[in-house]
Amino acid sequence: MKKLILTSAIVAAFAAPVAAETLTIGTATAQTGSLAYADAPTMQGMKLAVDEINEAGGIGGTIKIELLEKDVRSDPAQTSIAAQELVDAGVSVIVLPGDSDPSLAAIGVVSSAEIPAISTVASSPTLPEIGGDYMFSNFPGDNVQAAVSAKWAYDEGFRTAWIVYSLDTQYTTMPLYFRDVFEKLGGEMLGESTNTIGQQDFSAIATTIAAQDPQPDVVMTSAYEPDFPSLLRALRAAGVTSQIIGSDGIDSPTTFSLGDVGEGVVFTTAGFATEGSALESFDKAFEAKYGSAPETIYSAVGYDLIKVIEAAVIAADGSTDPKAIQQAMANLENVQGATGLITYKGTNGMPIRQVSLIRVKDGGRELVGQPTPDADLIPAPRMQ
Amino acid sequence: MDLFVQQTVNALALGGTYALLALGLAVVFSIMGLINFAHGELMTISGYTLMYCGIAGVPFVISVPLAILAAMVAAVAMERIAFRPVRGGSGATMLITSFAVAMILQVLFQNLISARSQAVMLPPLLSESLRIGNVIIGVNKIAAIVATVLMLVFLDRFMNRQKTGIAMRAAAEDFAIARLMGIRANTVIAGAFAISGLLAGVAAVLWVSQRASVDPLMGFTPVLKAFIAAILGGLGSLRGAVAGGFLLGFIEVYLAAFLPQELQEFRDPIGLGIVVLILLFRPNGMIPSRVLGSVKV
Repeated sequence: MKKLILTSAIVAAFAAPVAAETLTIGTATAQTGSLAYADAPTMQGMKLAVDEINEAGGIGGTIKIELLEKDVRSDPAQTSIAAQELVDAGVSVIVLPGDSDPSLAAIGVVSSAEIPAISTVASSPTLPEIGGDYMFSNFPGDNVQAAVSAKWAYDEGFRTAWIVYSLDTQYTTMPLYFRDVFEKLGGEMLGESTNTIGQQDFSAIATTIAAQDPQPDVVMTSAYEPDFPSLLRALRAAGVTSQIIGSDGIDSPTTFSLGDVGEGVVFTTAGFATEGSALESFDKAFEAKYGSAPETIYSAVGYDLIKVIEAAVIAADGSTDPKAIQQAMANLENVQGATGLITYKGTNGMPIRQVSLIRVKDGGRELVGQPTPDADLIPAPRMQ
Repeated sequence: MDLFVQQTVNALALGGTYALLALGLAVVFSIMGLINFAHGELMTISGYTLMYCGIAGVPFVISVPLAILAAMVAAVAMERIAFRPVRGGSGATMLITSFAVAMILQVLFQNLISARSQAVMLPPLLSESLRIGNVIIGVNKIAAIVATVLMLVFLDRFMNRQKTGIAMRAAAEDFAIARLMGIRANTVIAGAFAISGLLAGVAAVLWVSQRASVDPLMGFTPVLKAFIAAILGGLGSLRGAVAGGFLLGFIEVYLAAFLPQELQEFRDPIGLGIVVLILLFRPNGMIPSRVLGSVKV
């Protein structure tokens, strides 16, 4: 027995130099709680990418990726604690939850440790702006999404709109960007309503909108589950016939299973699997690994996140030094991800990514378009 | 005027759901002095039952009673497993136990079912609406109001005519004397939990039929609202719970409907401010329990 232990120790000692070629990515994400709708599928995509890269020998054929996972329960305080634990564990990159507020809670820890952090799917353009050099996002910004959907609405001939937003998170204020763009284009806002996240009853808001004469052409919101299905059902039950526009948060089975009520809803998201696209092959690989097709685009975005880190490590000549990775990441251009090309160069950390407009049709997705909005139409990040 | 009528219907529907929830808390509190914060998890159990029934293709008319039954069974099991061992304990002990039950159930839902929201299939009828004159009323609003009225009538009959119901009222007034009169404590308490499970189940069906989804943390908001409504109405008083539920529903809907847009972001603080104001004038709630203060608290 002793001999065996000794032998394995020697083997381990010889194996050590190869094993040292490891990039440790710490994930402080929300696998439970209110943000699990985004972070749980993102994690599946991340693991798929990690497995793919490791099976091919690692980044650049040599550097294996290791994930160090922590669940932050959608809680900002816990995010900050988990980030500190990951810093102490010596990780090279930290992945933060899919909303700006918990991600911001970890910013102090990440910046002082000088380790690059990247949020799974937070889309508020204020995040990297407040977060500084070490904070990166991984999703089309709220202001870009709103510019795309407002432009589409105006081009469709819609001239009046109503927004429903919540001041509870940065993300749920996306309709305010929509308002700015829609008015800039010449549309008219008939009114706005505010809700609280997790609010059960939307009938008061729905009745108010239904009582408008004429009703607005468009109702835009960035509410997500469980609020969005609730709001939509209330609107339709109250007799609101307007076009409903949502955002990436409703790219979820709870939207597609709404039946007739959900039909015709249009929303912006990070990608659509056109024939022969990278996303189509991602979906196939995902199904092969997990047994069912991805439920939302967030899985592909999680895959992209690892691809971005891989590209940054390669650009840093295989360095696993956090500072080198941060420098390299800030200058990445046209990284091929599952959802398309991703560029950080020339931005403050909010990537340039494609936005897809999708319509709910027969309980599935129908591509409306993948337009690139004019730069002068995109509103500046709004500080709250 | 039409707008006002319509918002009043909305308020009645929401208030009715709150009333059922508050009543579920009050039934148990009046007898055991326990505020069961795991009441919301009974709703989540109902919600998941609806979800699985939908996946299995069970017709909605059958899945609704199944969902309600699931909540009742869970409530009785909860009493047997978690609350009976601490029955003689202080209020704080029971309160902490109920929090523990709620958290354990949430974690089980997260790990065994899914951390994400799951869609619940609902019949299309529930998202339709009726036009009466100039007023449009959603079918699910009518269902909520009808279900609330039915439940209130049933409970009134049960509490006043049925032996178990009368025993429960006796136990609520003075448990020690009631036991001396030959009323079995276990039966009364299990009965109270079954009733609270029934109320949670009905409320859950109404709750889920609005949002068409169920998630592990779904029970948190309703139990919070029920707690506010029960305090507002008078803790331990069944009539008070109903009154508190309706009042809370009216406050929420009218504020959302008629508060100027500039003040909308302060809607929740204003609503709770009104609740505090009412409690300043009626510290024991709108319809206080007759025995509250003398035996309990």
